[in-house]
Amino acid sequence: MTRVSDPGAHWAVPDPARLATAIRLRAVRMVRPQGFGYLGQALSSAEQVAALFAVMRPGRDRLVCSPGHYVIGIFAAAAELGILDEDAAAAYGQDGSPVEAIGTERSPVADYVCGSLGQGLSAAAGFALSDRLKHRDRRVFAMVSDGELEEGQVWEAAMFAAHHRLARLTVLLDANNSQVDGPVDTITTIEPIAAKWEAFGWAATDIDGHDVGAVSRALTEADNSNKPSVLICRTSTGYGLRCLPADADGHFIKLPPDLAARAEAELLERYHG
Amino acid sequence: MADLRQPPYPTVLKPYGQALVALAKDRDDIVCLSGDLTRQCEIDLFADAFPERFIHAGMAEANMMGIAGALARDGFVPFVHTFGVFATRRPLDQIINAVAFPRLPVRIMGFMPGVSSPGGPSHQAIDDVALMRALPNMTVVDVADAAEARQVAAAIADVDGPVYVRLKRGETPVIFGDDHRLRLDRADVLRRGDDVALFASGMMLASALAAATVLGARGLSVSLVNVPVIKPLDVPTVVNVAAAARVVVTAENHTVIGGLGSAVAEALAEAGLGRPLRRIGLRDTFAEGARTAPYLFDKYGLSTQAIIDAAWTALGNRDRPPAAGITPAEDGEYSPV
Repeated sequence: MTRVSDPGAHWAVPDPARLATAIRLRAVRMVRPQGFGYLGQALSSAEQVAALFAVMRPGRDRLVCSPGHYVIGIFAAAAELGILDEDAAAAYGQDGSPVEAIGTERSPVADYVCGSLGQGLSAAAGFALSDRLKHRDRRVFAMVSDGELEEGQVWEAAMFAAHHRLARLTVLLDANNSQVDGPVDTITTIEPIAAKWEAFGWAATDIDGHDVGAVSRALTEADNSNKPSVLICRTSTGYGLRCLPADADGHFIKLPPDLAARAEAELLERYHG
Repeated sequence: MADLRQPPYPTVLKPYGQALVALAKDRDDIVCLSGDLTRQCEIDLFADAFPERFIHAGMAEANMMGIAGALARDGFVPFVHTFGVFATRRPLDQIINAVAFPRLPVRIMGFMPGVSSPGGPSHQAIDDVALMRALPNMTVVDVADAAEARQVAAAIADVDGPVYVRLKRGETPVIFGDDHRLRLDRADVLRRGDDVALFASGMMLASALAAATVLGARGLSVSLVNVPVIKPLDVPTVVNVAAAARVVVTAENHTVIGGLGSAVAEALAEAGLGRPLRRIGLRDTFAEGARTAPYLFDKYGLSTQAIIDAAWTALGNRDRPPAAGITPAEDGEYSPV
């Protein structure tokens, strides 16, 4: 089982925008056998995942995926980049498969995946602290979702990371305004997100999460900060897939066979276009 | 014959904290986390000795368990310190997902067990053993005295997987003599008899010893077993000792649901061994705030007399049980209630 920080891990991302489309296409194919799943998470985070793999140094930097539902995008990218076997990716979510739909401790590729929401930032801060204790040159990237900001532990971890000046820690916050019961802003007001993180001692930047160049640049620039950094990526759970109905449930998208076929055709055309 | 002192017992301060510092001198993989109860958990000593390996996590137990899990994944052996209530109730999901499921070597040190705190239900860890015992991969330890508290850090340092340890806060009685050795793989048979099999853990050992003495003086033959490791339970010893007796009594500073009493009951039932069983502990109730812990031990049925009464009636005796006759402790000494 390869993790991104394992010695000898290797990949290259010549074209992050093309990788983002490939992530969407593969995510559709991973969800298709069941007819439903966490496709919305892959659609909203595709550019973030593509930019991460473009910026992360293989065999050195670490990746934490806090919302385990997002691991589909990481698996899709890993399969595209040759880090994860095609067969393993194809067995996503099936009985007996180690590639579980809600990522866990056992999930391959990322260094740490949390299934219970709101816990990943603590693990990422722990990794960054460990790197400091061991005098290692490593960055730690954490994928966090906006809904997770409702969990108190995220803010415990945010205070801890800022207090301990864990500047090698960078959070990609997927602000897709989606949670199980509906849009985040109808359930809990989490804005102003950037001001909250800044108040907690972080460097915070608001960006278009579907502009893969902007995400890549922000990831690179974050390493110059003397504080931990959060990139608030404004996204949508339907982005990059025009055939999805406007009222699709972003947390758990239904993908009946006819819609799956149209989705695949649309993404294949873009990928090869 | 077991190496035991006679009550009232002398007490010492910070036996665990001193031992952790000694252990960390030899092992640079040990890191120490505090949840804002540094002096109370005896780790002011560690903070002074190894400030670079002392991590103050603040009053944020959920985050602290996540940090500890990540450090353990990276090759450190984190010892995490707070009161038992805050170590187990608030961050239960974090312990499960960040520590227990990945089977990481995090050592969770829960001070102030059961009703040893007069601070009321918010501060009384009466369910911590049950919560931790239910978790796959978790080892659960409840040490009896300062001799064991001095040994526990070294004893658990290399356990495969996480460990939860209960430790008395403050003045800690010295019950065992210098030759006593804390073992994680074996319950300690302190005396053998064929009327009553008495199993005690943690702070209830002192009461159990006093009860065994009183029952013995009335002509009863009593086995007494100190059970510092509640999970994995030393089932062969428990079954062997219980099989030789007519009745079984367990004593724990904890609710009777899910702790030592439950573990012994499960072991006996699975062995097909039928014995009348009496469990001494909190009777499925929260306790209360008070001025002193002894008041609570007495009120909630955790006294020497309660153990004597339970054994006495379980044997079918209808006359008045013998009186506990506890020698009161002077300042700096410890006697059970």
